[in-house]
Amino acid sequence: MSGFFKGLSGGEDMGFRNVELWMVLPAICVLVFISVYPFVFTIRLSFMDYPMIVTRNPIFTGFKNWIRMFSDVKTRQYWMVTLKYAVGALSLEMVLGFIVALLLSKLRFLQDLFTALMTVPLFFAPVLVGLLGRFLFHESYGIYTYFLRQVGLLRGVPSIFGYGPAAFFALICLDVWEWTPLVVIILLAGLKSLPQEIFEAAQVDGITTLQEVWYLTLPLLKRVILVALLVRTMDVIKYFDHILVTTRGGPADATKTISVAVYDQAFQAYQMGYAATLTVSALVVTMVLAQLFVRFVTGRSME
Amino acid sequence: MRRVVGLVFLCAIVLSGTFAMSMTEEEKWTQFSGKGIVLHFLTEDTPAAGAIVSLLPEFEKKTGIKVEVTRTNVADLVTKLMLELGAGSSEIDVIYNARWQILPAFSDVLVDVSKFQQDPTLPHIPMDDFFKAHLIATSFFVDEKRQIAIPHDASTMIWFYRKDIFDKYREQFMAEKGYDWTPGPNITWDQYYEICDWINKNVPEVKYGAGHMAKQWNSLYCDFSNVFWSFGARGFENPKTESYGAIFPGRCLWDSPEAIEAAKFYKKLITEVAHPSSVGWDWASLAEAFAKGDEIAMCFNWHDYMMMFEDPTRSKVVGKVGVALMPKGKDGRSHNYYSGAGLSINGYIPEDRQKAAWLFLVWQADIPVQKEIFKMGSTPVRKSVYEDPEVKDWIRNGTYPGAKIAPVMLEAWKEENLEYVEAKIPQFVETLIIQYTHLSYMLEGKETPEEAMKRIVEEVNQATGYSKLIEQSK
Repeated sequence: MSGFFKGLSGGEDMGFRNVELWMVLPAICVLVFISVYPFVFTIRLSFMDYPMIVTRNPIFTGFKNWIRMFSDVKTRQYWMVTLKYAVGALSLEMVLGFIVALLLSKLRFLQDLFTALMTVPLFFAPVLVGLLGRFLFHESYGIYTYFLRQVGLLRGVPSIFGYGPAAFFALICLDVWEWTPLVVIILLAGLKSLPQEIFEAAQVDGITTLQEVWYLTLPLLKRVILVALLVRTMDVIKYFDHILVTTRGGPADATKTISVAVYDQAFQAYQMGYAATLTVSALVVTMVLAQLFVRFVTGRSME
Repeated sequence: MRRVVGLVFLCAIVLSGTFAMSMTEEEKWTQFSGKGIVLHFLTEDTPAAGAIVSLLPEFEKKTGIKVEVTRTNVADLVTKLMLELGAGSSEIDVIYNARWQILPAFSDVLVDVSKFQQDPTLPHIPMDDFFKAHLIATSFFVDEKRQIAIPHDASTMIWFYRKDIFDKYREQFMAEKGYDWTPGPNITWDQYYEICDWINKNVPEVKYGAGHMAKQWNSLYCDFSNVFWSFGARGFENPKTESYGAIFPGRCLWDSPEAIEAAKFYKKLITEVAHPSSVGWDWASLAEAFAKGDEIAMCFNWHDYMMMFEDPTRSKVVGKVGVALMPKGKDGRSHNYYSGAGLSINGYIPEDRQKAAWLFLVWQADIPVQKEIFKMGSTPVRKSVYEDPEVKDWIRNGTYPGAKIAPVMLEAWKEENLEYVEAKIPQFVETLIIQYTHLSYMLEGKETPEEAMKRIVEEVNQATGYSKLIEQSK
C-alpha cells in the first residue's frame, strides 16, 4: 500500500508504473464509495439507536447495542441455530458433493452432460428454491410430504413447516439441493487436476478403491475441499432467502438464523442500530472462520 | 406605498378566488394535463388495486396524468416504504398506507389532505360517505384534525364455513349437542371449540373441523387477536391506541387475567382440535387449505378471500361457502377484527404532484371505480355505493363474490361489532414481532401461557419506552 502512495506522489518507480497506479485509482475510489463507506457507516450505526421512524431521532448510544447483543438470550439462540444449520448443511453438502464429484470423474462417457445437468439448481434464484420448497413440503398438496407420510417418516409430525425439527431439516434439504452442485464443480475440477501417475503406481501395487479414496484422493484434494468449505461456510452464515419464503424463522424461532434476525430488526422493527450490530458480529465471525480456513490451507497443509 | 401593495395583494386574492370559482369541473380534472406528470402508486396486491389498475386508462384519459403502479405483498411494501420515506425520497407519490405499520411511524411525512378538501381548484370527496370506523382507523394518527389518508380497502376478519357440511349435519349435531351450530355471533368460543371437535370425529368430507393461521408471523397475531379481544382483554392502558392512536401507549396489558385466559384457550384450540398444519399456515396458506375442499370445514380469514373461494380455477368449494360474523365474546358481542388501509400522499413530493396525487385519490374513491372494486371481488368503502340500485341488485342476486358477503360485511362494520386490534403506535411492528414470537413459543410448548404473556409485557414495555419512563419516575 505504501508503494502505491509512493507511486502516486512520484517517488521511486516513476514512469510506466506511475501511470498504472493512476489508472487503477478511479476503480479504487469507486470501491471505497460502494464498499468501504457503507462498511464504516454500518459500524457507526451499531453504536446508535437508529429507529428509522420519523417520530424518533437517531441518537448515539455507545455500547448499548453491543451489550444488548451479548446479553440477549435470543441472539445466542439465533447463533446456535445458524451454527447447527451450518454444520448440518455443510456436512451433507461436502459428503454428497465429494461422492458425486468422484462418480462423475470416473465416468468415461457423457461426463460433461451429467456435470451440466448437476449444475441446474445453481441457476435458480434462492427465493425460487424457497418457493419450490414451500410447494414440495406443503401439507395439503406437497409431493415430498405425501411420500414421507406414506413411508411413515412423519409420524407425530403435524406439518413440516409447523414443527421445529422438521422445518429445520427441510430447510437444510433445500440448501443441500441448491448448493451441492457448486461443491461438485469445485471438487471435480480439483479431481481432474490430480497427478494420475500416483494413482497408476498405487494401482500397480494393488490398492483397493476405498484405500485409494482414503489414502490418495482425500489428502491430495484437501486444499480444494477447504476452498469449497470456505466458500460455502461464508454463504451459509448469510442464509436467508429460503427461510424468509418458507418459515420466516418459526415455529418458535426454530429456524431463525442470525440473518433472519438482522432482517427482522432492520426491516420489521425499524431498529437499524441493533441490526447493524448483529451484522457486524456476523461479519466478524465470517472473517475469523475465513482466516482459520486460509491458515489451514496455506499453513498446516503445506507442511 | 403600503396602500398600493395592499390593494395589489387584495386584487390578487380576489382574482385567484374568481378564477377558482370560475373553474369548471372538467378544468379541475384537466389542470395537470400536458405537464408530463407521472405518479408512482405503491400498493399491496389487493382486489382493490387490481380494479384500479384495470381502470387506469380512464383516469389517464380524464386527467392527462399517467400512473405507474407497483403491486407487491404487504411485507415488501412496508420495507420499501420504510426505506423510501426514511430516506426522505420523493420516488413514490401515492402510498398504500399499510394498516398500522406505516401510518404511526411516518405520519409526519404524509400530506394533510384536508387542505385539498378546502381548495376550490380541486375536486373533493364527501368524507362523511366513508364508514366512520374506517375513516378513524385508516386516516388519522393522534391529531384528530390532521387527515393523512382516505379509506381505501377494508379487510375484516370473518368466519368462513362450508355451508354444505353445516346443512348436511345440522340435525345430527343438534340431536347430540342440543343447539343449532350455524356459525354466527350466537356461537360462543367454547361452542366453536366443540363444533371443531365434533367435525373432527364425525364428518368424513374434511380432515379437520377448522384451520388457523398460527405461523410465527403477523398472521399468528391476527388469529390470536380474535380470541384475545373476545375474552375481554385489551392491548394497552391508553384507549387511544385503538382509535386515533397514541405516541405513549401506557402499560402493556397482555398479562391481565383475561389475556392469560385467552392465551390458554387459544393454545388448547390450536394444539387439540385445529388442523395440525395450522402452526405453519399464514392467511394465504389457510385460504388455500379451505379452498382445497377436503382439509377443513371452517376458518377465520380476511373477507377478501371470498373472491378466491368463488373462483373455480383456484377453489373446489365454489358455491359451498357461507360467511358469518365472528363468534360471541365474553361480553356478548361479536369482535370482527378490522385491518383496512388508506391511501396517503407522500409529503416529500412537490406541491403540483401532491395535487395530481389528490386527483388520483378522488378518482379511485369515486362511485364507478368503487363499483368496479365490487365486481373484482372486494367490498367498496363508500356507504352510498351500497345504496346504488345496480349494486342492490347484485347483492340481492349474489352476482359477485363481494356481493355475496356484503350483508355480513355491513353488519361487521357497525361500531358495535368492529374491533381496532392493531395498536396504533409508532413501535407497533416491534411490539408485533415480540407478541407473535412468544405466542409461537407458547404453541410449541416452550413457554406456558402465563410465561408467554409475562414476557410479552416485559419486552413490549421496553420497546414502547414505558419501562424507561417508570424507571425515570422512581
